[in-house]
Amino acid sequence: MGAWSEGLVGGSRRAPSGWHIIRAIARREIGIALRRRHVRLLFLGSLVPPVVFGIILVVRLMAEKAVGVDLGWDPVLRFLQVQVAPVLLLSLGLGTPLVARDRAEDVLYLYAVRPVSPWHYALGKMLAVAGPAFALLLLPGLLIAVLRQGLLPDEVSFADSAILVGRMALAAVFLSLAYAGASVGPSAAVKRARWALLLALALFTVPDSLIELVLGEHAFPIGPAKASESLLSALFEHRDLGGGAVCALVLLLYFVAGSLVTVMRVRTEMRP
Amino acid sequence: MSEPWIEVRDLWLERGGRPVLQGVNAALTGRAVGLVGANGAGKSTLIGALLGVLRAKSGSIRVLDLEIPGGAMHLRTRAGVMAEQAGIFPGGSGVDAVVFAGMLSGLPRRESLRRAHRALDALDMGEERYRPASGYSTGMKQRTKLAMSLVHDPEILILDEPTVGLDPIGRTQFLRLIRELRDQGRHILLSTHVLQDAETVCDEMLLIEGGVVAFSGPVRGLLGAEETLLVAVGAGLDREFAEGLALLGFGEASASGERLTFRPRPDGDLLPFWRLASERGAEVRHLSRDMPTLEDAVVAVMEGGSRGRMERGSRGR
Repeated sequence: MGAWSEGLVGGSRRAPSGWHIIRAIARREIGIALRRRHVRLLFLGSLVPPVVFGIILVVRLMAEKAVGVDLGWDPVLRFLQVQVAPVLLLSLGLGTPLVARDRAEDVLYLYAVRPVSPWHYALGKMLAVAGPAFALLLLPGLLIAVLRQGLLPDEVSFADSAILVGRMALAAVFLSLAYAGASVGPSAAVKRARWALLLALALFTVPDSLIELVLGEHAFPIGPAKASESLLSALFEHRDLGGGAVCALVLLLYFVAGSLVTVMRVRTEMRP
Repeated sequence: MSEPWIEVRDLWLERGGRPVLQGVNAALTGRAVGLVGANGAGKSTLIGALLGVLRAKSGSIRVLDLEIPGGAMHLRTRAGVMAEQAGIFPGGSGVDAVVFAGMLSGLPRRESLRRAHRALDALDMGEERYRPASGYSTGMKQRTKLAMSLVHDPEILILDEPTVGLDPIGRTQFLRLIRELRDQGRHILLSTHVLQDAETVCDEMLLIEGGVVAFSGPVRGLLGAEETLLVAVGAGLDREFAEGLALLGFGEASASGERLTFRPRPDGDLLPFWRLASERGAEVRHLSRDMPTLEDAVVAVMEGGSRGRMERGSRGR
Protein backbone atom coordinates (compact mmCIF):
# COMPACT_ATOMS: atom_id res chain seq x y z
CA MET A 1 0.00 0.00 0.00
CA GLY A 2 1.31 3.40 -0.94
CA ALA A 3 1.88 6.67 0.87
CA TRP A 4 -1.22 8.39 2.07
CA SER A 5 -0.71 12.05 2.35
CA GLU A 6 0.04 12.66 -1.34
CA GLY A 7 -2.90 14.50 -2.85
CA LEU A 8 -5.22 13.89 0.07
CA VAL A 9 -4.35 16.68 2.45
CA GLY A 10 -6.82 19.50 3.16
CA GLY A 11 -10.36 18.24 2.79
CA SER A 12 -13.63 19.80 3.90
CA ARG A 13 -13.82 21.12 7.46
CA ARG A 14 -17.25 22.76 7.62
CA ALA A 15 -20.50 20.88 7.16
CA PRO A 16 -21.68 21.20 3.56
CA SER A 17 -24.96 22.94 2.74
CA GLY A 18 -28.17 20.93 2.60
CA TRP A 19 -28.49 21.65 -1.12
CA HIS A 20 -24.98 20.25 -1.78
CA ILE A 21 -25.96 16.98 -0.06
CA ILE A 22 -29.38 16.72 -1.74
CA ARG A 23 -27.84 17.36 -5.17
CA ALA A 24 -25.06 14.83 -4.55
CA ILE A 25 -27.57 12.12 -3.65
CA ALA A 26 -29.82 12.88 -6.64
CA ARG A 27 -26.89 13.07 -9.03
CA ARG A 28 -25.54 9.70 -7.96
CA GLU A 29 -28.92 7.99 -8.26
CA ILE A 30 -29.58 9.43 -11.72
CA GLY A 31 -26.09 8.40 -12.84
CA ILE A 32 -26.61 4.85 -11.64
CA ALA A 33 -30.11 4.63 -13.15
CA LEU A 34 -28.89 5.80 -16.54
CA ARG A 35 -26.52 2.85 -16.67
CA ARG A 36 -29.52 0.48 -16.77
CA ARG A 37 -30.65 -0.39 -20.26
CA HIS A 38 -34.40 -0.27 -19.55
CA VAL A 39 -34.07 3.18 -18.00
CA ARG A 40 -32.14 4.41 -21.04
CA LEU A 41 -34.82 2.93 -23.30
CA LEU A 42 -37.57 4.62 -21.30
CA PHE A 43 -35.65 7.87 -21.45
CA LEU A 44 -35.29 7.61 -25.22
CA GLY A 45 -38.92 6.46 -25.51
CA SER A 46 -40.09 9.58 -23.74
CA LEU A 47 -38.48 11.67 -26.47
CA VAL A 48 -40.70 10.05 -29.11
CA PRO A 49 -44.00 11.87 -28.31
CA PRO A 50 -42.59 15.39 -28.86
CA VAL A 51 -41.09 14.32 -32.18
CA VAL A 52 -44.41 12.73 -33.23
CA PHE A 53 -46.37 15.79 -32.15
CA GLY A 54 -43.91 18.07 -33.89
CA ILE A 55 -44.49 16.13 -37.13
CA ILE A 56 -48.28 16.32 -36.55
CA LEU A 57 -47.95 20.07 -36.14
CA VAL A 58 -46.08 20.39 -39.44
CA VAL A 59 -48.56 18.12 -41.25
CA ARG A 60 -51.46 20.12 -39.83
CA LEU A 61 -49.93 23.35 -41.04
CA MET A 62 -49.34 21.91 -44.50
CA ALA A 63 -52.89 20.53 -44.64
CA GLU A 64 -54.37 23.85 -43.56
CA LYS A 65 -52.40 25.67 -46.23
CA ALA A 66 -53.41 23.11 -48.86
CA VAL A 67 -57.18 23.16 -48.15
CA GLY A 68 -57.37 26.72 -46.80
CA VAL A 69 -59.30 25.64 -43.71
CA ASP A 70 -58.33 26.12 -40.04
CA LEU A 71 -58.46 22.64 -38.47
CA GLY A 72 -58.45 24.20 -35.00
CA TRP A 73 -56.66 21.42 -33.22
CA ASP A 74 -53.91 22.19 -30.72
CA PRO A 75 -51.61 19.23 -30.03
CA VAL A 76 -50.18 20.50 -26.72
CA LEU A 77 -52.76 18.98 -24.37
CA ARG A 78 -52.76 15.67 -26.25
CA PHE A 79 -48.95 15.70 -26.16
CA LEU A 80 -48.81 16.18 -22.39
CA GLN A 81 -51.46 13.49 -21.83
CA VAL A 82 -49.39 11.04 -23.88
CA GLN A 83 -46.07 12.16 -22.40
CA VAL A 84 -47.32 11.44 -18.88
CA ALA A 85 -47.20 7.67 -19.54
CA PRO A 86 -43.45 7.25 -20.18
CA VAL A 87 -42.67 9.77 -17.44
CA LEU A 88 -44.81 7.80 -15.01
CA LEU A 89 -43.06 4.55 -15.98
CA LEU A 90 -39.67 6.21 -15.64
CA SER A 91 -40.60 7.56 -12.20
CA LEU A 92 -41.69 4.12 -11.03
CA GLY A 93 -38.55 2.53 -12.45
CA LEU A 94 -36.29 5.14 -10.87
CA GLY A 95 -38.06 5.68 -7.57
CA THR A 96 -39.27 2.34 -6.29
CA PRO A 97 -35.82 0.75 -5.75
CA LEU A 98 -34.17 3.82 -4.21
CA VAL A 99 -34.80 3.47 -0.47
CA ALA A 100 -35.73 -0.24 -0.51
CA ARG A 101 -32.29 -1.06 -1.92
CA ASP A 102 -30.46 1.01 0.72
CA ARG A 103 -32.50 -0.64 3.47
CA ALA A 104 -32.00 -4.15 2.07
CA GLU A 105 -28.23 -3.56 1.81
CA ASP A 106 -28.14 -1.98 5.26
CA VAL A 107 -26.29 1.16 4.18
CA LEU A 108 -28.38 3.86 5.84
CA TYR A 109 -25.77 4.09 8.60
CA LEU A 110 -23.26 5.17 5.94
CA TYR A 111 -25.35 8.31 5.49
CA ALA A 112 -25.79 8.77 9.25
CA VAL A 113 -22.04 8.95 9.92
CA ARG A 114 -21.72 11.73 7.34
CA PRO A 115 -23.29 15.19 7.54
CA VAL A 116 -26.57 13.89 6.09
CA SER A 117 -29.89 14.30 7.90
CA PRO A 118 -32.97 12.16 7.18
CA TRP A 119 -34.49 15.16 5.35
CA HIS A 120 -31.42 15.56 3.15
CA TYR A 121 -31.64 11.88 2.35
CA ALA A 122 -35.37 11.92 1.55
CA LEU A 123 -35.21 15.08 -0.56
CA GLY A 124 -32.14 13.81 -2.42
CA LYS A 125 -34.00 10.64 -3.39
CA MET A 126 -37.07 12.69 -4.35
CA LEU A 127 -34.99 14.96 -6.55
CA ALA A 128 -33.49 11.89 -8.25
CA VAL A 129 -36.99 11.08 -9.52
CA ALA A 130 -38.59 14.51 -9.79
CA GLY A 131 -35.63 16.05 -11.66
CA PRO A 132 -35.70 13.73 -14.69
CA ALA A 133 -39.52 13.61 -14.66
CA PHE A 134 -39.66 17.41 -14.70
CA ALA A 135 -37.10 17.60 -17.51
CA LEU A 136 -38.93 14.99 -19.59
CA LEU A 137 -42.20 16.86 -19.25
CA LEU A 138 -40.89 20.34 -19.81
CA LEU A 139 -38.06 20.05 -22.33
CA PRO A 140 -40.06 18.24 -25.07
CA GLY A 141 -42.91 20.63 -24.28
CA LEU A 142 -40.55 23.52 -24.89
CA LEU A 143 -39.66 21.95 -28.22
CA ILE A 144 -43.32 21.94 -29.21
CA ALA A 145 -43.72 25.55 -28.09
CA VAL A 146 -40.72 26.55 -30.22
CA LEU A 147 -42.10 24.60 -33.19
CA ARG A 148 -45.50 26.30 -32.82
CA GLN A 149 -43.85 29.67 -32.63
CA GLY A 150 -41.66 28.90 -35.64
CA LEU A 151 -44.30 27.26 -37.81
CA LEU A 152 -47.30 29.41 -36.94
CA PRO A 153 -45.84 32.89 -36.47
CA ASP A 154 -49.05 34.56 -37.63
CA GLU A 155 -51.28 32.64 -35.22
CA VAL A 156 -49.02 32.33 -32.16
CA SER A 157 -47.59 35.42 -30.50
CA PHE A 158 -44.51 35.37 -28.30
CA ALA A 159 -46.66 36.13 -25.26
CA ASP A 160 -48.85 33.11 -26.07
CA SER A 161 -45.77 30.91 -26.22
CA ALA A 162 -44.45 32.29 -22.94
CA ILE A 163 -47.80 31.61 -21.23
CA LEU A 164 -47.88 28.11 -22.69
CA VAL A 165 -44.36 27.38 -21.41
CA GLY A 166 -45.30 28.79 -18.00
CA ARG A 167 -48.33 26.50 -17.83
CA MET A 168 -46.28 23.50 -18.91
CA ALA A 169 -43.65 24.28 -16.29
CA LEU A 170 -46.36 24.54 -13.62
CA ALA A 171 -47.86 21.21 -14.66
CA ALA A 172 -44.39 19.61 -14.83
CA VAL A 173 -43.53 20.76 -11.28
CA PHE A 174 -46.64 19.28 -9.67
CA LEU A 175 -46.64 16.08 -11.73
CA SER A 176 -42.97 15.35 -11.14
CA LEU A 177 -43.23 16.02 -7.38
CA ALA A 178 -46.28 13.77 -7.07
CA TYR A 179 -44.66 10.97 -9.08
CA ALA A 180 -41.55 11.23 -6.92
CA GLY A 181 -43.59 11.04 -3.71
CA ALA A 182 -45.74 8.18 -4.96
CA SER A 183 -42.72 6.09 -6.00
CA VAL A 184 -40.10 6.91 -3.32
CA GLY A 185 -42.61 6.77 -0.44
CA PRO A 186 -43.55 3.13 -1.16
CA SER A 187 -39.85 2.35 -1.53
CA ALA A 188 -39.33 3.53 2.06
CA ALA A 189 -42.41 1.70 3.31
CA VAL A 190 -41.25 -1.80 2.29
CA LYS A 191 -37.88 -3.51 2.09
CA ARG A 192 -38.09 -4.99 -1.42
CA ALA A 193 -38.21 -3.00 -4.65
CA ARG A 194 -40.82 -5.31 -6.21
CA TRP A 195 -43.20 -4.75 -3.28
CA ALA A 196 -42.53 -1.04 -3.55
CA LEU A 197 -43.46 -1.18 -7.24
CA LEU A 198 -46.72 -2.98 -6.45
CA LEU A 199 -47.52 -0.50 -3.71
CA ALA A 200 -46.80 2.45 -6.01
CA LEU A 201 -48.95 0.96 -8.77
CA ALA A 202 -51.74 0.54 -6.20
CA LEU A 203 -51.38 4.22 -5.27
CA PHE A 204 -51.79 5.20 -8.91
CA THR A 205 -54.87 3.05 -9.47
CA VAL A 206 -56.74 2.15 -6.27
CA PRO A 207 -57.72 5.56 -4.75
CA ASP A 208 -59.39 6.85 -7.94
CA SER A 209 -61.07 3.52 -8.67
CA LEU A 210 -62.47 3.42 -5.15
CA ILE A 211 -63.82 6.95 -5.17
CA GLU A 212 -65.31 6.42 -8.64
CA LEU A 213 -66.98 3.29 -7.35
CA VAL A 214 -68.51 5.24 -4.48
CA LEU A 215 -69.25 8.64 -6.06
CA GLY A 216 -69.50 7.85 -9.76
CA GLU A 217 -67.54 8.89 -12.86
CA HIS A 218 -67.33 12.59 -11.99
CA ALA A 219 -65.85 12.02 -8.56
CA PHE A 220 -63.12 14.34 -7.42
CA PRO A 221 -59.59 13.00 -8.23
CA ILE A 222 -57.76 11.74 -5.16
CA GLY A 223 -55.09 9.59 -6.84
CA PRO A 224 -51.99 10.99 -8.54
CA ALA A 225 -52.93 9.64 -11.99
CA LYS A 226 -56.39 11.21 -12.12
CA ALA A 227 -55.22 14.38 -10.38
CA SER A 228 -52.50 14.90 -12.98
CA GLU A 229 -54.97 14.26 -15.81
CA SER A 230 -57.41 16.77 -14.29
CA LEU A 231 -54.65 19.33 -13.74
CA LEU A 232 -53.64 19.14 -17.40
CA SER A 233 -57.29 19.56 -18.46
CA ALA A 234 -57.69 22.50 -16.10
CA LEU A 235 -54.56 24.20 -17.42
CA PHE A 236 -54.85 23.54 -21.14
CA GLU A 237 -58.51 22.79 -21.91
CA HIS A 238 -61.05 24.24 -19.50
CA ARG A 239 -58.82 26.97 -18.05
CA ASP A 240 -60.36 26.16 -14.66
CA LEU A 241 -57.87 27.68 -12.26
CA GLY A 242 -59.79 26.73 -9.07
CA GLY A 243 -60.06 23.08 -10.08
CA GLY A 244 -56.45 23.14 -11.20
CA ALA A 245 -55.30 24.50 -7.84
CA VAL A 246 -57.12 21.74 -5.97
CA CYS A 247 -55.58 19.08 -8.24
CA ALA A 248 -52.15 20.66 -7.68
CA LEU A 249 -52.75 20.44 -3.94
CA VAL A 250 -53.63 16.74 -4.20
CA LEU A 251 -50.45 16.14 -6.17
CA LEU A 252 -48.42 18.11 -3.65
CA LEU A 253 -49.86 16.00 -0.83
CA TYR A 254 -48.44 12.86 -2.45
CA PHE A 255 -45.01 14.49 -2.47
CA VAL A 256 -45.30 15.57 1.17
CA ALA A 257 -46.63 12.18 2.26
CA GLY A 258 -43.87 10.34 0.37
CA SER A 259 -41.22 12.58 1.93
CA LEU A 260 -42.61 12.13 5.44
CA VAL A 261 -42.80 8.33 5.10
CA THR A 262 -39.17 8.30 3.90
CA VAL A 263 -37.95 10.59 6.68
CA MET A 264 -39.74 8.63 9.40
CA ARG A 265 -38.45 5.32 8.08
CA VAL A 266 -34.82 6.31 7.70
CA ARG A 267 -34.78 8.21 11.00
CA THR A 268 -35.29 4.89 12.80
CA GLU A 269 -32.76 3.04 10.66
CA MET A 270 -29.96 5.59 10.32
CA ARG A 271 -28.20 4.26 13.41
CA PRO A 272 -25.81 1.50 14.45
CA MET B 1 -0.50 16.01 29.62
CA SER B 2 -2.31 16.83 26.35
CA GLU B 3 -5.94 17.96 26.12
CA PRO B 4 -8.50 15.17 25.71
CA TRP B 5 -9.91 14.97 22.18
CA ILE B 6 -12.85 12.92 23.39
CA GLU B 7 -14.43 13.83 26.71
CA VAL B 8 -17.50 11.98 27.94
CA ARG B 9 -19.12 12.80 31.27
CA ASP B 10 -21.71 10.67 33.02
CA LEU B 11 -23.24 9.46 29.77
CA TRP B 12 -26.48 7.52 30.04
CA LEU B 13 -28.10 6.14 26.92
CA GLU B 14 -31.05 3.78 26.48
CA ARG B 15 -31.99 1.77 23.42
CA GLY B 16 -35.38 0.13 23.20
CA GLY B 17 -36.00 0.96 26.86
CA ARG B 18 -32.85 -0.92 27.90
CA PRO B 19 -29.95 1.02 29.43
CA VAL B 20 -26.90 0.44 27.21
CA LEU B 21 -24.49 3.07 28.50
CA GLN B 22 -24.72 3.57 32.24
CA GLY B 23 -22.76 6.58 33.38
CA VAL B 24 -19.77 6.41 31.02
CA ASN B 25 -16.91 8.76 31.93
CA ALA B 26 -13.79 9.07 29.80
CA ALA B 27 -11.20 11.67 28.84
CA LEU B 28 -9.15 10.29 25.96
CA THR B 29 -5.84 11.91 25.11
CA GLY B 30 -4.02 9.16 23.21
CA ARG B 31 -3.35 9.59 19.51
CA ALA B 32 -4.86 6.14 18.87
CA VAL B 33 -7.42 4.78 21.30
CA GLY B 34 -8.56 1.17 21.33
CA LEU B 35 -12.25 0.74 22.15
CA VAL B 36 -12.58 -2.77 23.49
CA GLY B 37 -15.40 -4.78 25.01
CA ALA B 38 -17.47 -7.90 24.62
CA ASN B 39 -20.37 -8.16 22.16
CA GLY B 40 -23.22 -5.97 23.36
CA ALA B 41 -20.98 -4.08 25.79
CA GLY B 42 -21.97 -0.76 24.20
CA LYS B 43 -19.06 0.02 21.86
CA SER B 44 -21.15 0.75 18.75
CA THR B 45 -23.65 2.66 20.87
CA LEU B 46 -20.84 4.81 22.25
CA ILE B 47 -19.59 5.50 18.71
CA GLY B 48 -23.15 6.42 17.69
CA ALA B 49 -23.40 8.79 20.65
CA LEU B 50 -20.01 10.39 19.89
CA LEU B 51 -21.17 11.11 16.33
CA GLY B 52 -24.53 12.45 17.52
CA VAL B 53 -26.41 9.68 15.72
CA LEU B 54 -27.82 8.38 19.00
CA ARG B 55 -29.19 10.81 21.56
CA ALA B 56 -28.08 10.39 25.16
CA LYS B 57 -30.58 10.40 28.00
CA SER B 58 -28.18 12.49 30.05
CA GLY B 59 -24.53 13.44 30.25
CA SER B 60 -22.24 15.44 28.01
CA ILE B 61 -19.95 14.68 25.08
CA ARG B 62 -17.21 16.80 23.59
CA VAL B 63 -15.16 15.68 20.59
CA LEU B 64 -12.29 17.92 19.46
CA ASP B 65 -13.71 21.40 20.08
CA LEU B 66 -17.31 20.41 19.38
CA GLU B 67 -20.13 19.82 21.84
CA ILE B 68 -22.29 16.88 20.77
CA PRO B 69 -25.08 16.70 19.58
CA GLY B 70 -25.01 20.44 18.74
CA GLY B 71 -21.85 20.19 16.64
CA ALA B 72 -22.58 16.72 15.26
CA MET B 73 -22.88 17.79 11.61
CA HIS B 74 -19.51 19.57 11.77
CA LEU B 75 -17.95 16.62 13.55
CA ARG B 76 -19.22 14.21 10.89
CA THR B 77 -17.53 16.39 8.27
CA ARG B 78 -14.26 16.25 10.19
CA ALA B 79 -14.48 12.54 10.96
CA GLY B 80 -14.04 9.51 8.77
CA VAL B 81 -16.00 6.47 9.88
CA MET B 82 -15.45 2.93 8.70
CA ALA B 83 -18.52 1.12 9.97
CA GLU B 84 -18.46 -2.61 10.46
CA GLN B 85 -22.09 -3.44 9.79
CA ALA B 86 -22.66 -1.11 6.84
CA GLY B 87 -21.12 -2.02 3.52
CA ILE B 88 -20.42 0.12 0.48
CA PHE B 89 -22.92 2.49 -1.18
CA PRO B 90 -24.73 0.09 -3.52
CA GLY B 91 -25.38 0.23 -7.23
CA GLY B 92 -22.02 1.32 -8.55
CA SER B 93 -18.29 0.62 -8.68
CA GLY B 94 -15.76 1.10 -5.90
CA VAL B 95 -14.62 4.43 -7.26
CA ASP B 96 -18.26 5.61 -7.53
CA ALA B 97 -18.77 4.83 -3.84
CA VAL B 98 -15.63 6.69 -2.78
CA VAL B 99 -16.48 9.73 -4.93
CA PHE B 100 -19.98 9.81 -3.44
CA ALA B 101 -18.60 9.54 0.10
CA GLY B 102 -16.37 12.54 -0.61
CA MET B 103 -19.27 14.56 -1.99
CA LEU B 104 -21.40 13.76 1.05
CA SER B 105 -18.56 15.13 3.18
CA GLY B 106 -18.67 18.41 1.31
CA LEU B 107 -16.17 17.99 -1.53
CA PRO B 108 -17.06 19.19 -5.04
CA ARG B 109 -17.45 16.29 -7.49
CA ARG B 110 -14.27 16.94 -9.47
CA GLU B 111 -12.15 17.21 -6.31
CA SER B 112 -13.79 14.14 -4.84
CA LEU B 113 -13.03 12.16 -8.00
CA ARG B 114 -9.36 13.20 -7.91
CA ARG B 115 -9.05 12.28 -4.25
CA ALA B 116 -10.94 8.99 -4.70
CA HIS B 117 -8.40 7.82 -7.25
CA ARG B 118 -5.54 8.93 -4.99
CA ALA B 119 -6.98 7.03 -2.05
CA LEU B 120 -7.66 3.90 -4.08
CA ASP B 121 -4.16 4.08 -5.60
CA ALA B 122 -2.68 4.24 -2.10
CA LEU B 123 -4.73 1.17 -1.14
CA ASP B 124 -3.53 -0.79 -4.16
CA MET B 125 -6.97 -0.95 -5.75
CA GLY B 126 -6.00 -1.23 -9.40
CA GLU B 127 -8.52 -1.74 -12.17
CA GLU B 128 -10.84 -3.45 -9.68
CA ARG B 129 -12.02 0.00 -8.67
CA TYR B 130 -14.10 0.16 -11.86
CA ARG B 131 -15.88 -3.15 -11.21
CA PRO B 132 -19.31 -3.26 -9.48
CA ALA B 133 -18.59 -3.17 -5.75
CA SER B 134 -21.20 -5.88 -5.14
CA GLY B 135 -18.72 -8.45 -6.51
CA TYR B 136 -15.78 -7.43 -4.33
CA SER B 137 -13.92 -9.81 -2.03
CA THR B 138 -13.84 -9.00 1.69
CA GLY B 139 -10.37 -7.47 1.36
CA MET B 140 -11.42 -5.20 -1.50
CA LYS B 141 -14.56 -4.19 0.38
CA GLN B 142 -12.50 -3.25 3.44
CA ARG B 143 -10.09 -1.21 1.32
CA THR B 144 -12.95 0.58 -0.40
CA LYS B 145 -14.59 1.29 2.96
CA LEU B 146 -11.33 2.72 4.27
CA ALA B 147 -10.97 4.87 1.14
CA MET B 148 -14.55 6.10 1.67
CA SER B 149 -13.68 7.15 5.20
CA LEU B 150 -10.42 8.88 4.21
CA VAL B 151 -11.23 10.63 0.95
CA HIS B 152 -12.00 13.98 2.65
CA ASP B 153 -8.85 13.95 4.81
CA PRO B 154 -10.58 13.62 8.20
CA GLU B 155 -8.97 14.71 11.47
CA ILE B 156 -10.53 11.78 13.30
CA LEU B 157 -10.76 8.24 12.05
CA ILE B 158 -13.28 5.91 13.69
CA LEU B 159 -12.65 2.34 12.64
CA ASP B 160 -15.10 -0.35 13.65
CA GLU B 161 -13.56 -3.82 13.28
CA PRO B 162 -11.45 -2.81 10.26
CA THR B 163 -9.55 -6.08 9.94
CA VAL B 164 -12.50 -8.48 10.08
CA GLY B 165 -12.33 -11.01 7.26
CA LEU B 166 -8.85 -10.02 6.10
CA ASP B 167 -6.13 -12.58 5.43
CA PRO B 168 -2.91 -12.28 7.49
CA ILE B 169 -1.06 -10.28 4.82
CA GLY B 170 -4.02 -7.97 4.26
CA ARG B 171 -4.37 -7.50 8.01
CA THR B 172 -0.71 -6.65 8.45
CA GLN B 173 -0.87 -4.13 5.58
CA PHE B 174 -4.02 -2.60 7.03
CA LEU B 175 -2.52 -2.19 10.49
CA ARG B 176 0.63 -0.68 9.01
CA LEU B 177 -1.52 1.80 7.14
CA ILE B 178 -3.50 2.71 10.26
CA ARG B 179 -0.24 3.30 12.13
CA GLU B 180 0.93 5.50 9.26
CA LEU B 181 -2.30 7.50 9.47
CA ARG B 182 -1.84 7.83 13.24
CA ASP B 183 1.75 8.99 12.82
CA GLN B 184 0.59 11.65 10.35
CA GLY B 185 -1.32 13.23 13.23
CA ARG B 186 -4.85 11.89 12.90
CA HIS B 187 -6.78 10.84 15.98
CA ILE B 188 -7.87 7.23 15.72
CA LEU B 189 -10.59 5.39 17.61
CA LEU B 190 -10.25 1.70 16.87
CA SER B 191 -13.13 -0.49 17.99
CA THR B 192 -12.05 -4.10 17.81
CA HIS B 193 -12.37 -7.58 19.20
CA VAL B 194 -8.86 -8.43 18.04
CA LEU B 195 -6.77 -7.25 20.97
CA GLN B 196 -3.57 -7.84 19.04
CA ASP B 197 -4.71 -5.15 16.57
CA ALA B 198 -5.35 -2.71 19.41
CA GLU B 199 -1.96 -3.53 20.93
CA THR B 200 -0.23 -2.89 17.59
CA VAL B 201 -1.89 0.44 16.88
CA CYS B 202 -3.11 2.05 20.10
CA ASP B 203 -1.42 3.92 22.90
CA GLU B 204 -4.57 4.19 25.00
CA MET B 205 -7.42 1.84 25.77
CA LEU B 206 -11.06 2.34 26.65
CA LEU B 207 -12.53 -0.87 27.94
CA ILE B 208 -16.33 -1.02 28.09
CA GLU B 209 -18.04 -3.76 30.01
CA GLY B 210 -21.80 -3.90 30.55
CA GLY B 211 -22.28 -0.25 29.60
CA VAL B 212 -19.68 1.12 32.02
CA VAL B 213 -16.00 1.94 31.65
CA ALA B 214 -13.99 -0.94 33.07
CA PHE B 215 -10.66 0.68 32.21
CA SER B 216 -9.54 3.91 30.58
CA GLY B 217 -5.91 4.89 30.24
CA PRO B 218 -2.60 4.09 28.59
CA VAL B 219 -2.02 0.55 27.33
CA ARG B 220 0.96 0.33 29.70
CA GLY B 221 -1.38 0.96 32.61
CA LEU B 222 -3.68 -1.85 31.52
CA LEU B 223 -0.77 -4.27 31.20
CA GLY B 224 0.43 -3.21 34.63
CA ALA B 225 -2.98 -3.98 36.11
CA GLU B 226 -2.32 -7.65 35.61
CA GLU B 227 0.39 -8.70 38.08
CA THR B 228 3.45 -10.32 36.61
CA LEU B 229 3.91 -14.05 37.20
CA LEU B 230 7.27 -15.72 37.67
CA VAL B 231 8.06 -19.03 36.04
CA ALA B 232 10.82 -21.29 37.27
CA VAL B 233 11.92 -24.45 35.46
CA GLY B 234 14.11 -27.15 36.99
CA ALA B 235 14.32 -30.33 39.06
CA GLY B 236 12.71 -30.49 42.52
CA LEU B 237 10.20 -27.73 41.90
CA ASP B 238 7.30 -29.84 43.12
CA ARG B 239 4.10 -29.31 45.10
CA GLU B 240 5.94 -29.26 48.46
CA PHE B 241 8.26 -26.57 47.11
CA ALA B 242 5.20 -24.55 46.02
CA GLU B 243 3.69 -24.90 49.53
CA GLY B 244 7.00 -23.76 51.02
CA LEU B 245 6.93 -20.67 48.76
CA ALA B 246 3.39 -19.85 49.86
CA LEU B 247 4.56 -19.92 53.50
CA LEU B 248 7.30 -17.43 52.57
CA GLY B 249 4.76 -14.93 51.22
CA PHE B 250 4.81 -15.77 47.50
CA GLY B 251 1.34 -15.88 45.95
CA GLU B 252 -0.56 -18.43 43.87
CA ALA B 253 2.31 -20.88 43.59
CA SER B 254 1.55 -23.97 41.55
CA ALA B 255 3.79 -26.76 40.25
CA SER B 256 3.40 -28.88 37.17
CA GLY B 257 6.17 -31.29 36.22
CA GLU B 258 9.40 -29.30 36.22
CA ARG B 259 7.59 -26.00 35.89
CA LEU B 260 6.66 -23.81 38.84
CA THR B 261 4.55 -20.68 38.51
CA PHE B 262 4.20 -18.16 41.33
CA ARG B 263 3.58 -14.51 42.07
CA PRO B 264 6.39 -12.44 43.54
CA ARG B 265 6.13 -11.14 47.12
CA PRO B 266 4.80 -7.63 47.55
CA ASP B 267 8.35 -6.42 48.33
CA GLY B 268 9.66 -8.06 45.12
CA ASP B 269 12.47 -9.83 47.05
CA LEU B 270 13.51 -13.12 45.40
CA LEU B 271 16.17 -14.10 47.93
CA PRO B 272 13.75 -16.30 49.98
CA PHE B 273 13.01 -18.25 46.80
CA TRP B 274 16.70 -18.98 46.19
CA ARG B 275 17.23 -19.89 49.87
CA LEU B 276 14.37 -22.37 49.76
CA ALA B 277 15.73 -23.89 46.55
CA SER B 278 19.11 -24.25 48.18
CA GLU B 279 17.65 -25.81 51.37
CA ARG B 280 15.60 -28.33 49.39
CA GLY B 281 18.32 -29.08 46.86
CA ALA B 282 16.18 -27.95 43.94
CA GLU B 283 18.03 -27.29 40.73
CA VAL B 284 16.65 -24.12 39.11
CA ARG B 285 17.70 -24.00 35.45
CA HIS B 286 15.59 -21.05 34.37
CA LEU B 287 13.67 -18.22 36.05
CA SER B 288 11.78 -15.59 34.07
CA ARG B 289 8.86 -13.21 34.20
CA ASP B 290 5.73 -14.38 32.43
CA MET B 291 4.63 -11.03 30.90
CA PRO B 292 0.87 -10.77 30.47
CA THR B 293 -0.44 -10.04 26.98
CA LEU B 294 -3.03 -7.36 26.41
CA GLU B 295 -5.54 -10.17 26.06
CA ASP B 296 -4.69 -11.47 29.56
CA ALA B 297 -4.99 -7.97 30.96
CA VAL B 298 -8.31 -7.24 29.27
CA VAL B 299 -9.79 -10.59 30.27
CA ALA B 300 -8.66 -10.01 33.86
CA VAL B 301 -10.29 -6.56 33.95
CA MET B 302 -13.47 -7.85 32.32
CA GLU B 303 -13.71 -10.85 34.63
CA GLY B 304 -13.14 -8.55 37.57
CA GLY B 305 -15.95 -6.34 36.30
CA SER B 306 -18.31 -9.29 35.82
CA ARG B 307 -17.50 -10.64 39.28
CA GLY B 308 -18.12 -7.23 40.77
CA ARG B 309 -21.49 -6.91 39.04
CA MET B 310 -22.51 -10.43 40.07
CA GLU B 311 -21.56 -9.71 43.67
CA ARG B 312 -23.43 -6.42 43.59
CA GLY B 313 -26.39 -8.25 42.03
CA SER B 314 -26.42 -10.98 44.68
CA ARG B 315 -26.09 -8.40 47.46
CA GLY B 316 -29.02 -6.55 45.91
CA ARG B 317 -31.12 -9.72 45.99
